[in-house]
Amino acid sequence: MSETCKVSAERRGDVAILWTDGYINNQGGEEIAREAYAQLDQGVRALVLNLEKTRIVNSIGISILIEVLEKVMDRKGVLAFCGLTPTIDKTFRIMGLAQYAEIFPTQDEALRKVSAQSA
Amino acid sequence: MTMPVSPAGLEELWKRIGSILETDAPLPSRIAEAAVAATGARDAALYVRDRDAWVRAGEGLGLDADGHAVPEPLPEGIFVRDGDLWLPLAVEGEIHGLLRLLGVEAAPESSNALAFVLGAVLGAHRLARQVRDAEFELKARLLELESLYDLGLSLGGQLDLSALADEVLFRSISLTDAGKGTLALVEPSGALVLERSVGDDVFSARDVKTWSLPEGGVINNEAASTPTAGLPLATCEKCLVVSIAVPGRRLGVLAVADKESRDGRVLDFTATDARLLSLFANQAAAAIETARLHRDAIEKERMERELELAAAIQRQILPRDLPEVPGLEIAAKNVPTRQVGGDYFDLFPLSRGRLGFVVADVSGKGIPAALLVSTVHAAVHLQIDEAPTIADLVGRIDRHLQRYAATRKFLTCFFGVIEPDTGTMRYVSAGHNPALLRRADGRIEQLGATGVPLGMFPKAQWKEQEVTLGRGELLCVYTDGVTEALDARDEEFGLGRLADLLAAPARPSELCAKVFAAVDAFAEGVPQYDDQTLLLVSRKG
Repeated sequence: MSETCKVSAERRGDVAILWTDGYINNQGGEEIAREAYAQLDQGVRALVLNLEKTRIVNSIGISILIEVLEKVMDRKGVLAFCGLTPTIDKTFRIMGLAQYAEIFPTQDEALRKVSAQSA
Repeated sequence: MTMPVSPAGLEELWKRIGSILETDAPLPSRIAEAAVAATGARDAALYVRDRDAWVRAGEGLGLDADGHAVPEPLPEGIFVRDGDLWLPLAVEGEIHGLLRLLGVEAAPESSNALAFVLGAVLGAHRLARQVRDAEFELKARLLELESLYDLGLSLGGQLDLSALADEVLFRSISLTDAGKGTLALVEPSGALVLERSVGDDVFSARDVKTWSLPEGGVINNEAASTPTAGLPLATCEKCLVVSIAVPGRRLGVLAVADKESRDGRVLDFTATDARLLSLFANQAAAAIETARLHRDAIEKERMERELELAAAIQRQILPRDLPEVPGLEIAAKNVPTRQVGGDYFDLFPLSRGRLGFVVADVSGKGIPAALLVSTVHAAVHLQIDEAPTIADLVGRIDRHLQRYAATRKFLTCFFGVIEPDTGTMRYVSAGHNPALLRRADGRIEQLGATGVPLGMFPKAQWKEQEVTLGRGELLCVYTDGVTEALDARDEEFGLGRLADLLAAPARPSELCAKVFAAVDAFAEGVPQYDDQTLLLVSRKG
């Protein structure tokens, strides 16, 4: 079996924080998408993805994250990333995710910025 | 397939469906809704090609998917089948989709225009997706290049093998879209250094030693049924395996397995994947070798520091000045090798004008030998005034070594006590090289061992012998570093050469210098690996 990615979420006001733990591949990406769409369906418009427990992302995972990002943008929402390893940070910047979703070093910074944007 | 469509007809149609097509709804829904609005159909569904089959795209407008298969073979152009109208949505003759309009039994006048417009929309969408996919692919290739560059930089300064292995494994899995991977590093002996896996192990690290992977690695896209290169694979469907190696030596194995796709299928690994993984493995090999060399250099530096310290301790132990003993003339010299050896000599002025002395050679070199020398030195100084006889003194030191010496080492030694007035010398030789006695007439006598080396056998005993040193006669005690000094042809200096040098009458200090000069000349600059110690005592005439 591949390394299983676990995703947990918590609502903080208008913002939902999603924590990933493991490899963001097809399975991990789908888990993130499922949780993100559930949050969007509950009216959340701002998502923070904390990836501090993720060390690997593949292109399938990235394409799913792009789909999630597009859906968030379709709903006039905002998505931010935090806790990225330097390798994943660079990957997101090259693959274009950082064009539409800001990357923050810490969750607190991401929450502050995203809360202000979604207010 | 080109359809005759008038501009007026198109304009008219666009007025009716343009606003629907411009919404944010998913494309299949927009197309179906526009088709319903344009034709008054009860419902509509869009079918698109997925590999070899037509599949329903999107959710449609409540259409039940069952029993709505696309007719095979597909009739050409617009057609009606079972009370439904089918519109091929094509651009430049390529059909991008099939639109099914329920309850439309005859093609309305606007059918061609509708097929043209919706075909163009679907074609544009496909083109946009292709552009996006191509852009994604391009970025993925750029990421590969950047990763290679970054890995080179990162590994260049990475001396921690564990971090290095993680870096290589994570990037390998990530960039080949593998579901899992394993990296194992081994010693030249085959012993496992470390193993890392993401997901289940692709292989068992204990098998690494016996693998015979061909250069460039192995792509095994039928791993489950056809193990390759004697590769006992664990749980995977398809795998890609490369060696981590420097010329002539395998450092480890890197494997990734089960390449993922968006639809959950396990894809074949490609030649590009293999090339990428080989590049990663090459970078890893260079970095691992660098880390190893660095580790070795640090270890060597540490050893050298320790040896310097040990040498300093040993220098402190050896006597700085030789005692002045009336009636005797003494010369001694110790030449240590670069590595700390285990030679030791000492002289002890005793009561009634006697002189005690010892020359010892500890087995081994380096720190353990230096520690043993230090132990012997302490034991001798503690016991020299307590022991009633030399044999007893040697026995006490032996028992001390058996009890307290940290390592299983032994030493040979020659202990003697000379009474200058009478020339009587009592001695014990514990497995030591024969001491040489130059008699007044120039003859050389050998004083052989009177017992086994110290620290070797429990409860060993030593005989004490007595010999008389006549006036002008000379005693020479040495270590094997002198007689076993090697020249470039690996020939030893030998006892004979030493004896010949001693035969000619001379003062001990002159003889001492002469012996060392002769040994030096004999060795012709060949580095020696054993300490050289020489003690000469003559009884004044």
